Amino acid sequence: MTREGKQAAAGDYVLGTMNGPELRAFEQELASDPELAHLVADLSDRMLSLDNVSETEAPAALWARIEAALDNPATDEPQTTVVPISKKTSQQAPGTPWMALAACAVVALGFGYILGATTLAPPEPRVIAVLLDETSASPAVIVEAFGDDSVHLVPLETFEVPQGQVLEVWTLPDAETGPVSLGTLDETREAMLTGPDLPEPQPGQLYEITLEQAPGSPTGRPTGPILVKGFARNPVL
Amino acid sequence: MLAGAPNTDDADGLILRIAKGERAALASLFDAEGARLVAVAQRIVRRRDLAEEVVQESFLAIWRSATQFDSSRGSARAWITRIVRNRALNLLRDGHRMDYHDTETLTDLGDRAADAMAAFDALEERDSLKLCLSRLDEPKRRAILLCYVTGLSHGEVAATLKAPLGTVKAWIRRGTIALQDCLS
Repeated sequence: MTREGKQAAAGDYVLGTMNGPELRAFEQELASDPELAHLVADLSDRMLSLDNVSETEAPAALWARIEAALDNPATDEPQTTVVPISKKTSQQAPGTPWMALAACAVVALGFGYILGATTLAPPEPRVIAVLLDETSASPAVIVEAFGDDSVHLVPLETFEVPQGQVLEVWTLPDAETGPVSLGTLDETREAMLTGPDLPEPQPGQLYEITLEQAPGSPTGRPTGPILVKGFARNPVL
Repeated sequence: MLAGAPNTDDADGLILRIAKGERAALASLFDAEGARLVAVAQRIVRRRDLAEEVVQESFLAIWRSATQFDSSRGSARAWITRIVRNRALNLLRDGHRMDYHDTETLTDLGDRAADAMAAFDALEERDSLKLCLSRLDEPKRRAILLCYVTGLSHGEVAATLKAPLGTVKAWIRRGTIALQDCLS
């Protein structure tokens, strides 16, 4: 990114106008780019003068609610506990029957989930797009887009993905939202990807795949060459 | 440091104590910043009850994540203000997209424009942010203030200023670059 590009991105970030995927990509960039971090820190400190809103005093009732939530974490947001995979074996040590029971419950839940999943009819795609190779204009990838923000990709040809680059899948829900990343692949393969929460895919919606620097476009918008693109159509059911 | 820039020592010191689990430090931070933060959130979510909810969640987040505060990446006041603004923006974006046709929304946009200008007018004359914002063309200044102060998206700014979306994006891009050049 040029310095102007970084200033513009820092401006969008501090102003709060970045959308989900764009924001996540920018925050990754921010963690690894000291110049960008410096621009953001400077601008947010300066813009802070606009937040010196004069108010009388802090509402005491609000502090009481915060204290109550601190004392009673159950009403707090759910805390996610990540158990590293390597620790699983030590937790199943003998002599802890309740853990064995808990493990059974997890297995049962997992089994039920699989049963539930297989007894359901396979979902029908809302729209299907055949993406054409930009150079040869031949069909190169089939995209099935479902109503739950997931897409199923079936490549019909193999793309060269140079070291340090990835294939990034995009869609354009509407002009105002702009292109939205649905995910990345490090090689040509069949895949299910789940993108951010978007309106239901529509006939005529654009899908495309670009070649981007790993781990994905730094700007949250397509920056690399377009390999394939195509417009979605309704399947005849 | 220029006059008008906030004294950051207090909040920075409090965050360090909060990171060590001192509940009294969180209470002091609330006393010092709570009212201001409710007002900041209310400019974005518009309703007092939602603004208080945003600030409540933000203080719980500050309590949990104070150890992650990194003073090399900006002041503590900027950090806590960003937490509040982001939560308010998420609430606004998740809640509804604006429909510009109904009168309630048009009033809302008018109120936001008034808040944005009031925040600019309230800046101290000696604050270089006021000087640098004043040097921008009016549409660029208004677009930046509407986004920052009241949390509008590019599309909503375009509707408020009755300008094409592409033009608004270009104003904001050129405006924020010029602003950073002027401030540095």
